[in-house]
Amino acid sequence: MSGISTNEYKLISADRVYDATGRAVIQNGAVLTQGSEIIAVGRTDHLRAPDGAPVERIDYPGATILPGMVDCHTHNNGFGDGRNGEELAELADEILTVKAAGNARRSLYSGVTTIRENGPKNVTMFRLRDAINEGLTVGPRMVLCGRPVSIIGGHMGYFGGEVTGVEGVRALTRQLIKEGADYIKITATGGSTPTSFPLLPSFNVDELRAITGEAHKFGKLTATHSTSTQGVINSLDAEVDMIIHCVYKEPDGRDNFRVDIAERIGEGGAYVNPTLQVGRARVWSLMEKKIDSGLSTEDLTALDEAKRELETRLEHNRRMIEMGVKIITGSDSSWGDYQLGNTVYEAELLVHAGYSHSEGVMSVTKWAAEALGVDDVVGTLEPGKQADILVVSGDPTEDVNALWDVEDVFFRGEKVDRGSEESLAAVRQTPYEF
Amino acid sequence: MSDRQTQFTVLKAARLIDGNGGAVAEQAAILLEGDTIRQIGTKETVQAPEGASVSEIDYGDATILPGLVDCHVHLNGIGDGRAGDELTLLPDEVLTVQSAQNVRRHLYSGVTTLRDCGAKNRTTFLLRDAVEMGIVPSPRLILAGRPVAIIGGHLSYFGVQATGPTECRAAVRQLIKEGADFIKVTATGGSTRTSHAWRPSFNVDELVAICDEAHKFGKHVAAHCASSGGMENALDAGVDSIIHGVHKDADGSDNYRPDLADRIAEQGVFVNPTLGQSVSRIRQLEDDPSRAREGDDLGAMRRGSEIRMDHVARMRDAGVVMVAGSDSAWGFYEMGDFQTEIEAHGMAGMSNMEAIVSATSDSAKSCWVDDSVGTIEVGKQADVLVVEGDPSSELGDLRRVVDVYLAGDRVDRQNLI
Repeated sequence: MSGISTNEYKLISADRVYDATGRAVIQNGAVLTQGSEIIAVGRTDHLRAPDGAPVERIDYPGATILPGMVDCHTHNNGFGDGRNGEELAELADEILTVKAAGNARRSLYSGVTTIRENGPKNVTMFRLRDAINEGLTVGPRMVLCGRPVSIIGGHMGYFGGEVTGVEGVRALTRQLIKEGADYIKITATGGSTPTSFPLLPSFNVDELRAITGEAHKFGKLTATHSTSTQGVINSLDAEVDMIIHCVYKEPDGRDNFRVDIAERIGEGGAYVNPTLQVGRARVWSLMEKKIDSGLSTEDLTALDEAKRELETRLEHNRRMIEMGVKIITGSDSSWGDYQLGNTVYEAELLVHAGYSHSEGVMSVTKWAAEALGVDDVVGTLEPGKQADILVVSGDPTEDVNALWDVEDVFFRGEKVDRGSEESLAAVRQTPYEF
Repeated sequence: MSDRQTQFTVLKAARLIDGNGGAVAEQAAILLEGDTIRQIGTKETVQAPEGASVSEIDYGDATILPGLVDCHVHLNGIGDGRAGDELTLLPDEVLTVQSAQNVRRHLYSGVTTLRDCGAKNRTTFLLRDAVEMGIVPSPRLILAGRPVAIIGGHLSYFGVQATGPTECRAAVRQLIKEGADFIKVTATGGSTRTSHAWRPSFNVDELVAICDEAHKFGKHVAAHCASSGGMENALDAGVDSIIHGVHKDADGSDNYRPDLADRIAEQGVFVNPTLGQSVSRIRQLEDDPSRAREGDDLGAMRRGSEIRMDHVARMRDAGVVMVAGSDSAWGFYEMGDFQTEIEAHGMAGMSNMEAIVSATSDSAKSCWVDDSVGTIEVGKQADVLVVEGDPSSELGDLRRVVDVYLAGDRVDRQNLI
């Protein structure tokens, strides 16, 4: 199960290799791996193992080889069946860990070889990582926060990380790092949590500064959930490394794109993870309900609101992309109605928002890895990096949706047994025209 | 799933074994309606009602038999040789993830009902919640939760140590409250370092309290007995199953006790001898001697196994009903390989058909679930195993699994999510 790591060579070839470094697609290309590492990338006829060592050849006619995807925003505890976070948090940690294990497999089998988890309950994701390290189950590389840091009653406070004041947040940051956190997730505004206020900031700037200061001291990145403008401003004041959602809304709920704030984000170099698909998944879920059982007046209002919100968010992100803000793919699944294993939908929406198809691919590979600070290990196909490799039929640089057509996934140089076609097909959520 | 209309399925094969030990039926067919077996007959006679929506599969040169019933597993186990004392150090979340993997393995290998004979804290109860939520594919689960043990007794590290009839009674009530389907008690020590395998653990008054309380709520009791003193106490107290059933004196010497065998038979107590544990380990070491651990003595293992098999044969002659329960993933025995335990029953003198019965209907009887599973009978749950070949003439054919049906649904055995 754990896979004995070998030093054997593999030459994985296809019609195209897209290494995601920014250079053009290599026609008739290949990746040479040794054990878990990439040794060389180039034209197939140029690559051979040193000293004539034996090489396992695997060819994918018609396909494209690219880096395994990096999803900057997952909720592995989640079901993606529309249930809210409070209900989720009521489940026992053991159940949430089992669910997280299944979700980790969904990700890996869909071609996501690195995830950043954005908010599980208690120590469930640390325990999942333990289980994977014990060889009991499989999953992508995981960049973990443990519990999100929240104010009392704040968004996701129910996951176990409610703190107050500079000392309180500092202590929790240290505690999370002690438990194994790779970065710190903070909810800088309220959110869907009923006791929270999504249009208002949560922590004060001194508290946010205390978190980022403590995290950065130990070389850890930070990311803030920000569903309204003041939260974004506070995050920038506190030098947060990634702004999640990055919603431009005034305290009264008005949409108001703030060019000045977007410029500050661009200048400071923070990454933005807009999480657009979670909104579209809500639309789809209501469309499905409309077909199955019809919609109530309330549902119809919700559907109109969800569509309008999605359009607004797409427009705001279009403007940020034009301004050169670093926008990356982080699915936010399984949250709301959005299920893990469907990361490609988010990358596709970034293309709708203005990225080219190859930029869409970059947003879920190279740039995503950079945003997580793991670009020394993954995110591109380059010698010395880990052999986390995705093979898809078609060419995702021409159409990002080709990322759905996974032929194989290699993780740490080993081909992943992804199980039956039937079970994989069932993972993909159905889109609805609207 | 979305189709509310009842689905009929006709399964056909060259042979059918009903699990009761009767003759193999030729050119057989069964009709499933939803989760229930509706008809059993031949390929010609079995038919869905006129106009009903029916799917039909002819498996050709294969055998239809009941889904297997493994009356003894440890879902928390890893089967990599680590001792229970070490296993229990893993956090409950990790053990629950492992349990989820284990139920999947067992289901895919043909086991459609299993009885867990001891897990840490609430891990198996919470696993069942996860199964009921539909996030883990699993056989039917019959759960003990934590075993009831004395202070320092076998498996006491899983969370229950009770002293005296009152605490024993409280432990049983607590387990039943949490969802226990039966009570597992360790009537002697075992591999647990602080326990004494050749000595009884609980006194008879404590075992009586456990049995009374369990029976009051319609739950059965299975007692771990690694030596004869424990068996004697368990019989005095009226347990329903004896696990291991080892005839050893307090000094560790092997000493088959015909008097105990007679009592077991008279009281109608099932014995789960767990022969597969040592058979699987011996096979591992024969296949790959590098897997030996310090102090492993293959010769001694073989002799020990032969003694146990001899005792099992003698108990059977005395009229004791032996039931197959793998005891995986304890020790080195991984889950998904109940077949080794069944084969061990063959090695201990059972005919192939007797070994199959021990792993289906008799095992179901010992778990008190024979009203719904364990045989291919009209009205029972449609838990069906289809294997290539004919396990009644070649027991190894039980490994040649073609399909598994659980409550009438074909299991996708390649679903790894």
